[in-house]
Amino acid sequence: MPVTTTALLELRDICVSYKHHQVVHNVDLTVDRGEVVALIGPSGAGKSSLLRSINFLEEPNQGQVLLAGQRVGVLDRRGRAVPANRRQLAEHRRHVGMVFQSFNLFPHLSALENVILAQVHGLGRSRSAARERARQELEHVGLSDKSNMRPASCSGGQQQRIAIARALAMDPMLMLFDEPTSALDPELGIEVLNTMRRLADEGMTMVVVTHEMHFAEEVADRVVFMADGRIVEQGPASEVMNNPRHERTQRFLSAVKNR
Amino acid sequence: MLDFAESLVRGVGQTVSITACAFLIGAVLGFPLALLRRSRNVLVRWGAALVIDTVRSIPPIVVVFLVFYSVGSGAVRLGTFQAAVIGLGAISAAYLAEIYRAGIESVASGQWEAANALALPSRKMYVHVILPQALLVAIPPAATFAIGLLKDSAVASVIGAQDITFFAFQESQATLQGLTIFLVAAVLYIALSLPVAGLARWSDHALSKRVAT
Repeated sequence: MPVTTTALLELRDICVSYKHHQVVHNVDLTVDRGEVVALIGPSGAGKSSLLRSINFLEEPNQGQVLLAGQRVGVLDRRGRAVPANRRQLAEHRRHVGMVFQSFNLFPHLSALENVILAQVHGLGRSRSAARERARQELEHVGLSDKSNMRPASCSGGQQQRIAIARALAMDPMLMLFDEPTSALDPELGIEVLNTMRRLADEGMTMVVVTHEMHFAEEVADRVVFMADGRIVEQGPASEVMNNPRHERTQRFLSAVKNR
Repeated sequence: MLDFAESLVRGVGQTVSITACAFLIGAVLGFPLALLRRSRNVLVRWGAALVIDTVRSIPPIVVVFLVFYSVGSGAVRLGTFQAAVIGLGAISAAYLAEIYRAGIESVASGQWEAANALALPSRKMYVHVILPQALLVAIPPAATFAIGLLKDSAVASVIGAQDITFFAFQESQATLQGLTIFLVAAVLYIALSLPVAGLARWSDHALSKRVAT
């Protein structure tokens, strides 16, 4: 199996189905180290399903996921590929940070404890090291003063930044964002987008499902346009956003830009 | 009347300890039963459901008699207290398993996804993420069940456990003042259930406050 040197993430022939309804059709996608890829497209295009198949929150029913050249999510048992168990998936997931549309912070824990929890129980860090790291990450997203607050006492934008801090504390190689600003007022969305922009500037590899066209154009290195479960068009952000070649992309972009 | 009260109060200890022990057994055994009920294996899931539904469809008085005459009459001699606790404990396990399960299933799917995405091992996910939220949801129905159990514990008197109802029955046979005596018994049961009802209200309130903010 050839190993590409710069590709951090490689998706080959990924298919995702719910029951009998296929939502992702044979998608290939490669993401280089340090690259920021924006997945755009109409709702129902399969963007989120594709993103979630990367860390197996949605198990692809066909295809391969390779992280840093290693095939993940399957075990080679006497030459036959069988689905990985929970422990092996966890091994993969700790390298992949995920930020959800609905934040999904743990409501019974303070902001600081939210960031500490998986460091201690997932990575096996000592409590004091995890606490120190959690402080740093909360400071990084500008929320040191919210450390002892429960999520419910924070604004949506703050909650999403805590969620970003929680994911970053695990030292991920790759960050996945699933419509991170869709549940937020535009004003609060900005602070989340600024946090993500800084993360991109720091060289984090990111795959972002988004409806924020400005963000896609300004921050992403590459824009991937999906429709009906397939990649229709992809290329450098400015090119896809300003001179889309495919008719379907043109239709989508003119619709969202004229809103 | 005070004489009757004095006489019936002798049963409070048994009533409370039968209820408490049965509830404790149910609270402990109900948990693995709830997890079996959620197993990925269909046979395990159905097996657990069968056990739960069977136990729940037999009247407590019949369960207590069954325990008393089966287990209690064999090699191991069971006292009336033990038989009552085992019977009511089995019933509690079945009901509390369903209450736990409802609590676990009430935890939002995003919580499971976040725990998975953060690579938390299964046990840690349950202990630190799912159960703290699930148990809070389970407290009000569990308290309601505890009040029901306190009342159902009266069936222990039929096998001779010396609880409130046992003494009430004895006194009424001796004095023929059944109405007064059983009114006193009712007051005693009400007094015992008030603290549990208070706990239920308080936790319900705490829960709604937490959901609201």
